[in-house]
Amino acid sequence: MDQKEYTIVGKRIPRIDSVPKVTGTAKYLRDLIFQGMLHGKILRSPHPHAKIVRVDASKAERMPGVRGVVTGIDTQGIRLCMFRHLANKPPLAEDRVRFIGDEIAAVAADSEKIAERALELIEVEYEELPAIFEPTDAIKPGVIRIHEKGNIAAHRSWMYGDTQKAFGESDQIFEDRFELQGANHCCLEPYGCVAHYDQSGGLTVWMPTQMLHPLRQILADIFGIPLSRMRVIKPYTGGGFGARFDVNPIEIIAVFLSKKTGRPVRIVNTRDEEFRTGRFRYPMTIDIKTGVQNDGTILAREVKVLTDAGAYNGMGVTITSGIGAKSTYLWSVPNVKFEADVVFTNKVYGGGFRGYGNPQITFAIESQMDIIAEKLGMDMMDLCLKNVNYSGQLTCMGHKVTSCGLKECIEKTAETIGWKQKRRKKGNRGLGMGSLMHTGGGVRNLYGECNLSDVFIKMNNDGTVDLLSGIAEIGQGSDTVLAQIAAEELGIQIEDVNVIIGDTSITPQCLGAWGSRVVFIAGNATKLAAEEIKLKLFQEASTIFETHMDDFIAKNRKIYVKGNSEKAISISELAVIFYNKGKILAGRGCYDDPTHYSPDPLTGYGAVPNYGFGTQAVELEVDMETGQVKLLNFVATHDVGKAINPMMVEGQIDGGVVQGLGYALSESLFWEGGVLKNCNFLDYRIFSSADVPPIKSLIVESIDLDGPYGAKGVGEAPAIPTAAAVANAVYDAIGIRIKSLPITPQKILKALKESN
Amino acid sequence: MKKKIDLKVNGEKCLVEVDPHMTLLEVIRDELGLTGAKLGCGGGECGACTVIFNGMSVKACLFLALDAAEGEVWTIEGLAKEGNLHPLQQAFVEHGAIQCGFCTPGMIMASKALLDENSHLAEQQLKNGLVGNLCRCTGYTNIFQAILSVTNIDEKL
Repeated sequence: MDQKEYTIVGKRIPRIDSVPKVTGTAKYLRDLIFQGMLHGKILRSPHPHAKIVRVDASKAERMPGVRGVVTGIDTQGIRLCMFRHLANKPPLAEDRVRFIGDEIAAVAADSEKIAERALELIEVEYEELPAIFEPTDAIKPGVIRIHEKGNIAAHRSWMYGDTQKAFGESDQIFEDRFELQGANHCCLEPYGCVAHYDQSGGLTVWMPTQMLHPLRQILADIFGIPLSRMRVIKPYTGGGFGARFDVNPIEIIAVFLSKKTGRPVRIVNTRDEEFRTGRFRYPMTIDIKTGVQNDGTILAREVKVLTDAGAYNGMGVTITSGIGAKSTYLWSVPNVKFEADVVFTNKVYGGGFRGYGNPQITFAIESQMDIIAEKLGMDMMDLCLKNVNYSGQLTCMGHKVTSCGLKECIEKTAETIGWKQKRRKKGNRGLGMGSLMHTGGGVRNLYGECNLSDVFIKMNNDGTVDLLSGIAEIGQGSDTVLAQIAAEELGIQIEDVNVIIGDTSITPQCLGAWGSRVVFIAGNATKLAAEEIKLKLFQEASTIFETHMDDFIAKNRKIYVKGNSEKAISISELAVIFYNKGKILAGRGCYDDPTHYSPDPLTGYGAVPNYGFGTQAVELEVDMETGQVKLLNFVATHDVGKAINPMMVEGQIDGGVVQGLGYALSESLFWEGGVLKNCNFLDYRIFSSADVPPIKSLIVESIDLDGPYGAKGVGEAPAIPTAAAVANAVYDAIGIRIKSLPITPQKILKALKESN
Repeated sequence: MKKKIDLKVNGEKCLVEVDPHMTLLEVIRDELGLTGAKLGCGGGECGACTVIFNGMSVKACLFLALDAAEGEVWTIEGLAKEGNLHPLQQAFVEHGAIQCGFCTPGMIMASKALLDENSHLAEQQLKNGLVGNLCRCTGYTNIFQAILSVTNIDEKL
């Protein structure tokens, strides 16, 4: 535990954007007003798979109030995907549509209602094709090819160590299959874009995005615009969770409509479109085979994944490849074999969602750990502790674990929930546990070769600062964290820091908010930038007081000599001295992930600079008549290195846990014949206020030596092990093992019936 | 065919021209420029559009503008007085009950309506009362703590 006391770091201060948000003055995309703005609507395919014979938009073009129409002819040749070599999604369909909802044409009109009516006037002639909805059908011989190269988007196969040999040395081998469902992010703010292609050839887009600078680069490439004329602005953003970590057809279509009409064009998803056509967590089947010795030592793990990629390459390939790397993380397994197929189907394609594949693989690993423990006659907690990860270890990929508080997380969670007292008791109540290991600092090579963030700070004449960063605040409050770090380092107050984010023309580069990277990478960049200013202040103070630079500290808006209050000067006075001397007080911090591993030759995956850990446990009761699960208690302990703002860390844990509980118990995208049947909040059930149990969110601080003040990221971790904890608790309660998510009353009743 | 209606918004009289199909949400946001209430789903399921109409919490996205004629509407913009946050708003700030902020205006107005009806709200009543206001970021825990911190106080909220 970190004993060092700081002034602002480690304090539970309210977030710096509280007032705009709580007074309703914070402007989100739909709140912004643009002179002459047109409203865009998209025509979408009603068929899951069809050839486009003819598109005739002439009637729509002639409709009063319609200012422009675009089709696949306008966007011809463009292919979208974050990963260029995988790009196969045209913004508007050219010769084929591949899922119900696939974009075909779009209209810009004076109002949304006119645009909607105009869509009905666009004539499209289709030739329907056989459609495939299950990955297992897509790989059968002789079936129709969804893409020219076939239905397998990617195949992965690699091994570290020798699993065959290790299985030979195992006392017991376990083989289990787990099924994971599609789950939607359900951001409260629907996705959208305002695009303005101005007359001088400059392009500005306003979007709730998680990745301003990467998106700027992508749009500049697509539209052939120099970066200096390409501007991405991110207003306040209503959620992300990975849904806004991609390049989507909406923004490209909006740009084309703006180019055609010469006016700003806004396109925003309806909630129906959010469900039907937006990104979501990939459905998968995971087979996991584990070899253990009777004393609980895990010797080998083989993981086989079949991913339902949907109709185009979104993040299916990278997420599945990443699962391979994640298969080597938890429980220090020395021999790991991974095999995967990412397969196209005629359904909408997914994307990254809080955990980037880790929720799926962790459900499999942690459910199976519970199975293994029971068979070995061990408590699951003891099985975990037997194989626990530790600081300094190398994973079988040869990657180093820097800080690690997993043991403490397990013990703290177990103690708080009353593990020993309440587990394996009679009746229909039970406890279950699940742990996680996930990056707390992004990953190198996911996008480009670096994992960087750049921060500029300029000090004003009154000692306050402006901090410029390319991060994206999407609810996690990272602007507050950067302000705390800057204030701590400079010895000023939180209200002295003005954080400027959300505009690529003003802010320096950052890869964005994903992979739980912002606190670690941008936090370190902030610390470096602040240090540069601080040293300049110390230098000036040392001249004034004829004392060595090393003797000064910055605190309470003053620079002073430790233990000598006479040798003190206010930071604002120093700032004026600099100004009068014609010198600039500014700092720049550019921080890149310190690992030096290139993409791993076998997995293709980059290294991560640190790992966050956590353990969650749930106490629940199962109603034997209805199969309903009643959540009684939840405990989550997370190792975050150092909690820069404990209140905000707890908020991330609470929120992630509740998303995890939804994934475990109530959320599932349900398709029938390629049609998504649940496209609203009534039929796709996220947890409401009445569903949440009491949640205890606890923090462990393992002080990562590379992290700013020891901090690591925690944005994704809390959503990762939750489902396994629930499945394990259901087993503890009623002896029923559910291996597919969500764990619905119907599944429980069916299993109870079959066991009798 | 546009029709002129009178209504009181945040204590002020307003005269607006509305189409028969317009919702109260559209009037508040597009005609009056009060963008605190949000369009989250358009189907009355998420609660991001919650405002108080004639003392009751309503989903403005499903409330026809014409039905608001002669009525009194309170939105999030009407809570803070002369730069001072309402106790509920202050509580949300202090308890970390805000993350992305999109659900926040609706959540606060829904809570205010509950507290106006019963200032001694118990935890379970609160949890049930907010069922119509979805939040995807906070997990609701800090929201409950914020609201419960201002229950049972004598000051009229």
